[in-house]
Amino acid sequence: MAKTLFEKIWDSHVVEEGNGRSLLYVDRHLVHEVTSPQAFDGLRMNKRNVRRTDLTFATMDHNVPTSNRSLPILDQTSAMQMKTLERNCKEFGIELFDINSPNQGIVHVIGPELGITLPGTTIVCGDSHTSTHGAFGALAFGIGTSDVEHVLATQCIWMEKPKTFEIRVEGKRKNPCAITAKDIILSIIRQIGTAGGTGTIFEYRGEAISELSMEQRMTICNMSIEGGARAGLVAPDEKTFNYLKGRRYIPKNYDKLVEYWRENLKTDSNARFDKSFTLHADTIAPQVSWGTNPAMTVDVTGTVPFPEEYAKGNPEEEKAATKALQYMGLKPGTLITDIELDRVFIGSCTNSRLEDLIEAAKIVKGNKISPKVRAMIVPGSQHVKKQAEELGLDRIFKDAGYEWRESGCSMCLGMNPDILSAGERCASTSNRNFEGRQGSGGMTHLVSPVMAAAASIQGHFVDVRELDLN
Amino acid sequence: MKGSVIKYERDNIDTDVILPGPYLKIHDYNELAKHAMEGIDKDFHKKVKPGDFIVAGKNFGCGSSREHAPIALSYSGVKAVLALSFARIFYRNAVDGAFLLPIEIEEDTYKDISEGDQLEIETSKNEIRNITKNTTYKIKPFPELIGKIIAAGGLFNYKP
Repeated sequence: MAKTLFEKIWDSHVVEEGNGRSLLYVDRHLVHEVTSPQAFDGLRMNKRNVRRTDLTFATMDHNVPTSNRSLPILDQTSAMQMKTLERNCKEFGIELFDINSPNQGIVHVIGPELGITLPGTTIVCGDSHTSTHGAFGALAFGIGTSDVEHVLATQCIWMEKPKTFEIRVEGKRKNPCAITAKDIILSIIRQIGTAGGTGTIFEYRGEAISELSMEQRMTICNMSIEGGARAGLVAPDEKTFNYLKGRRYIPKNYDKLVEYWRENLKTDSNARFDKSFTLHADTIAPQVSWGTNPAMTVDVTGTVPFPEEYAKGNPEEEKAATKALQYMGLKPGTLITDIELDRVFIGSCTNSRLEDLIEAAKIVKGNKISPKVRAMIVPGSQHVKKQAEELGLDRIFKDAGYEWRESGCSMCLGMNPDILSAGERCASTSNRNFEGRQGSGGMTHLVSPVMAAAASIQGHFVDVRELDLN
Repeated sequence: MKGSVIKYERDNIDTDVILPGPYLKIHDYNELAKHAMEGIDKDFHKKVKPGDFIVAGKNFGCGSSREHAPIALSYSGVKAVLALSFARIFYRNAVDGAFLLPIEIEEDTYKDISEGDQLEIETSKNEIRNITKNTTYKIKPFPELIGKIIAAGGLFNYKP
């Protein structure tokens, strides 16, 4: 029977099934300091061990400060959470990339970077953006702390089989330097909605997906959860295999595995998806979010919508848009390019990889940031930071007035010292514009690294298609 | 299960407003509870009573996988969330840890229930009785596996 890529990975990991449930084997379990402490407590209480310490990797990312690492951590509760992870990893025998490790970074940046993420595997982590790893053709999804404990103890997880959802992005982008992977995924979510993928696994397909680099595919898969799907997949190809080759944690028989992956990890030509959605890449413009969820997005050439026009006759949507505009302090009809900014944040598991930094640096080079703006750049990992410094990107950003920080989740989620103050408006390359996400009362506009960089110079959003980006 | 309703007439109530990021560092569940719903309702912890139900729109619990969200609601006293639909990770976390019941309701039910209504939920009959309005609503039965995990009192008590 013809199968989709998802079904092939699923079938090869089912340990046991029946009565509408499946017990799924987990190939890689990534752990961080925020969603794991209670899971380890549970193991201790029930005198259980970690079943596969060799398949479990930990790092610190959510609440690490991104300032000078030689200084003590001022926030005692954060310091305690990091200490607790250190103690737990030592006690249970798990490899940890701690705050001083050269491998430290955002969990979804370091997994692929270290070759822990592999095609055809199942990957879980106590973080919803685990969907990122799907860029490698891995079935990767976020779990809560109870499931973290269950996977630590058993290396398995109970699941009901999700449905399949094909997302086709056909054709070519008109200006690939200005219209990025971030604009593709924001356009998808804008059209299918934040719950459009609930209960499904996305598979991104089509020419515009194939032509993306691995790092761009990660940006797309990262935000699958923002479209309601727990995971998103891209079928692995030569780019995938080349990206991973030679990385630290890949298996010894890598070349043999590549042969197998090349042969097997793709959706059969006559396989059927439960749902399908098509977007034409040449219709996509640079996107800027105006509201308080990632579907509330508009073209940069557009205006802040009127709630009744946005709602298209749906009273609930109209109410939501009105509330969102109130929170965001925006007037309907305002040109997006007239929105002035206080802060710019380039970072997060969505957009903090080397390519993101290179693209942003092209715009920043030789310019100064607007005097009204405070801008931060937070590389996703220590490796990204080091590579960027070798390319001299740190100088470009610092000369322009950017803060060049240490790796971590930083201002994506408001649980470390990098936060917005109430009333501050930020162009952010992160993934969520929820109320208070970047700090209580802070206002987030989701954009690509290119848009964030351009906005940092001008002090407001600009149509990046008009810039010389080559 | 009897309790009164706290209603939020909105969709997409995300886990960042259910339990904002800065509080993810708190390990004491009763402390967490003091910050439940703080992102959209600063008075929630003052008005919530043990046994209360939250009623909300579509895609409740979207966003982060933080189990702190259902934990904070549960330790505030919330026994069930009645929503038009749920984001899957929140739903799963609520069931796994036996923190609260995530119950999907129909559009008519959502519209009919008002803030402060007294409800009695009988999952065995797939029914909600609105004592205040003297009416009953049907609810969708839980899928088989989820029903069993709920009956067992959470993932770790569930024996396949």
